Amino acid sequence: MQYIGEELIYGEIGNLLIVLSFTGALLASFSYFLSFRYADNGWKKIARSAFAVHSLAVLGIFIVLYYLILNHRFEYYYVWQHSSESLPTKYIFSCFWEGQEGSFLLWTFWHVVLSWLIILRGGQWESPVIAIVSLVQVFLASMVLGLVVGGIKIGSNPFILLREHPDMIKLPFVQFADYLQRIGDGRGLNPLLQNYWMVLHPPALFLGFASTVIPFAFALTGLMKRDYFTSWVKPALPWSVFSIMSLGAGILMGGAWAYEALSFGGFWAWDPVENSSLVPWILMVAATHAMLIYQAKRNSLLSSFLLVSLSFLMVLYSTFLTRSGILGESSVHAFTDMGMMGQLVFYMLFFIVLTTVLLLINHKLLISKRTEDRLSSREFWIFIGVMVLVASALHISFVTSLPVINKLFGTKMAPPHNAVEFFNSWQVPFAILICLLIAVAQFFKYRQSDFTLVFRKLLLSLIISVSLAGMLTWYIGFSKLHYILLLFTSLFAVIANTDYLLRILKRKWKFSGASVTHTGFALLLMGALISNGKQSIISKNRLQIDLGKDFPNNENIMLVKNDTLQMYKYYVTWTGVEKKGVHLYYNVDYLNFDKRTGKFSKVFSLQPLVQLNERMGNVAEPATKKFWNKDIYTHVTYANLEDVNNQNPDSNYTEMTDHNLHIGDTLTTSNSLVIFNGITNSPVSDHPLMKGSELAAAAILDIIDANRKHYRAEPLFIIRNNIIFSPEYKIEELGLKFSFTRIDPEKQQFVISIAERKNNKREFIILKAILFPGINLLWIGCLIMIAGAIISIIHRRRS
Amino acid sequence: MKKSYIIGIVLVAIALGVVLSTVSSSGTYATFSEASAHPGKVFHVVGTLAKDKPLEYNPEINADLFVFHMHDNNGRECKVMLNKAKPQDFEKSEQVVIIGKMKDNTFIASDVLMKCPSKYNGNEIQRGQLR
Repeated sequence: MQYIGEELIYGEIGNLLIVLSFTGALLASFSYFLSFRYADNGWKKIARSAFAVHSLAVLGIFIVLYYLILNHRFEYYYVWQHSSESLPTKYIFSCFWEGQEGSFLLWTFWHVVLSWLIILRGGQWESPVIAIVSLVQVFLASMVLGLVVGGIKIGSNPFILLREHPDMIKLPFVQFADYLQRIGDGRGLNPLLQNYWMVLHPPALFLGFASTVIPFAFALTGLMKRDYFTSWVKPALPWSVFSIMSLGAGILMGGAWAYEALSFGGFWAWDPVENSSLVPWILMVAATHAMLIYQAKRNSLLSSFLLVSLSFLMVLYSTFLTRSGILGESSVHAFTDMGMMGQLVFYMLFFIVLTTVLLLINHKLLISKRTEDRLSSREFWIFIGVMVLVASALHISFVTSLPVINKLFGTKMAPPHNAVEFFNSWQVPFAILICLLIAVAQFFKYRQSDFTLVFRKLLLSLIISVSLAGMLTWYIGFSKLHYILLLFTSLFAVIANTDYLLRILKRKWKFSGASVTHTGFALLLMGALISNGKQSIISKNRLQIDLGKDFPNNENIMLVKNDTLQMYKYYVTWTGVEKKGVHLYYNVDYLNFDKRTGKFSKVFSLQPLVQLNERMGNVAEPATKKFWNKDIYTHVTYANLEDVNNQNPDSNYTEMTDHNLHIGDTLTTSNSLVIFNGITNSPVSDHPLMKGSELAAAAILDIIDANRKHYRAEPLFIIRNNIIFSPEYKIEELGLKFSFTRIDPEKQQFVISIAERKNNKREFIILKAILFPGINLLWIGCLIMIAGAIISIIHRRRS
Repeated sequence: MKKSYIIGIVLVAIALGVVLSTVSSSGTYATFSEASAHPGKVFHVVGTLAKDKPLEYNPEINADLFVFHMHDNNGRECKVMLNKAKPQDFEKSEQVVIIGKMKDNTFIASDVLMKCPSKYNGNEIQRGQLR
């Protein structure tokens, strides 16, 4: 059948490029290995050309796929599945990496960029390092191949056609030549990902993941040839610092996204996906410190090999966890299963086996007579730090791997029911140790130092941080011992490192990398501690209805429209909801109450929103008010969305009910008081029926709502050509409609009919608000850490 | 004794601690019957919402209490009292995981995870959404 409107040429180009990228990487890897093995420049030339072809192909795939998404070519399954015409252009990039295929491509792309930095520098490292990177690229390129060989699916192709996708192939629309006219818009981007952080976070995170391969490739080179056995450490160091920086920044951007766009309330939830990207980072930090020990003292080479490899292998493990579908229900942001588990396991096992074999071959060299470090040496304390980091990574990995353990051994272990509390009880003590080591280790000299001298240098920092920690503990009101200890040690680390920077280094900035990075990291931990340890849910119900200890009523409050409730030191009121496109903005005013004047004044407003998405479920997005020392986070946990969606305004009203009234009578509606104050024979109105009428009168109704606000309604009573007209008088704000339907002049009785908006009684939202103090310390710490890492990289590349 | 041995022993001790603490504090996936057999112990129960039974949510009284009925994977129905605000779109959920314990034939849940249809991998065209 000839289908109408398809543009198949792009898919063909795309597929050609995928094949080129795969074969290019394969050839580059092979020739680079030969060039390394035989120190041959001819092979190197071939390898470079092959790698160039591979790089151009990857770039080409990127451009083609992006072009297809941008032009809404829904004949391609990937485009249909991940984008839609209604999506704002600023989020179009996110469509690219929403799916597995796109994120694999992003990863591949960063490997290409990093590799060229090494190729352009040239030298002896180019061949072995790029040989290994290319080998990784072969695996990554295979993930988008989309071939079926002997019943085994190899990769998932982003250029597969909608009508040829296995899920679609049997559906009726395939029978229509003009199906493209019929299928309508694409499925679109998951509403959770429609956030600017989701444009930045994935590229940063994948740069971090990609960067771990470079130190790994250096280490493997060391294991492959005797001459490189020790010399790899020095050129690999700036790369491992780069990895710490980019992966760290990528992870924290994910935290920023979670904090701003997700509704779990916080920047870190110890979710399996978060954990599995944190573990390689911790291991890379440990690896870098082991390498530093080696650089200074020719010790810890085995640790350097092991940790650098583990960091990369844990990236592969994390890929396996998040993409194989094994996490299933236990994570909010794992990818869906695409039936690639076998391939992912093979990818991971290949490199585990390769590394293990190379380590075993070299075991005699590796297990050398290790000289014992002295207690008073810097290397001893750094090494203790490395061990603490390893323990921390071990703990996180084990718990995150529970679904894998269940699968392997048929157990039924569920993740800890309170993940945050569980992880904190282990990770806080690790963090305390790390902060202590960060504070003191730099004051020791390599080999050996004088304890009293070290103590004297540290004394000032110690005194300042003990007294500051004491004051802060009292001010913040910490009572848990491990929180107080972490507060003290992180302060100690910040102050001791600043002191080191100012006094001992005499402000030589190029040596300041470590101190600056450590200061940033300690600040980050302090921010995490204060904002988490002292976060308080301020949306507590103050009615104090006791419902027993099983049901504490202390997380959410109900806000009836225009009611004012006390919350924290403010009063809050929900003034209404506004629909803009797919977003519903709930305007919540935070008010101050002045006791002297008895008046409310607005301090600030927040608009937490609900994003409507019929297909993928509606998503609530919090709004946060940022102060310099705290954030107030506000989130609509529940709202009745039907009323807002219902576009027909009159169907929202109840039937009119009649009320027989005398002048001066009062009646109540669900939200206000109505006083019938009289009749006028000469109503002021421009109603069209007034003109030429025989009689026109109006009832004067004064209305007072729950907030003592006054309104007036003047429904008309018109007789025209002997017909009675009672036009409706509507007060939109109150959701009330009045009509003046009958006059009984003898009894001086009047009939007023009233209709109410159906949701008048139940127009409310459920609101959750959390106070996060000191969270800015975390973001500042992050920036300082990045600055420190950059200083370090520049310095280490020069020397 | 060499310091490296001491470090090794400490690491092994930590590893053991990790395994033991995780196993003891992690819950278990179970059915309502198993949860009834051990009242007071925390379980994760997977199942589906009983759509024929009413959902009770009265935020005027308690915004943090939501009551519904659920079938576990063996088909047994049980009343669930969730100590949380009613999750948005709960009626549409396909699969529900509740975390909590059994008390007097009622499951007292402290948390809920739900999976909505087509959130990540549904195909609307399949349901004949052709124009």
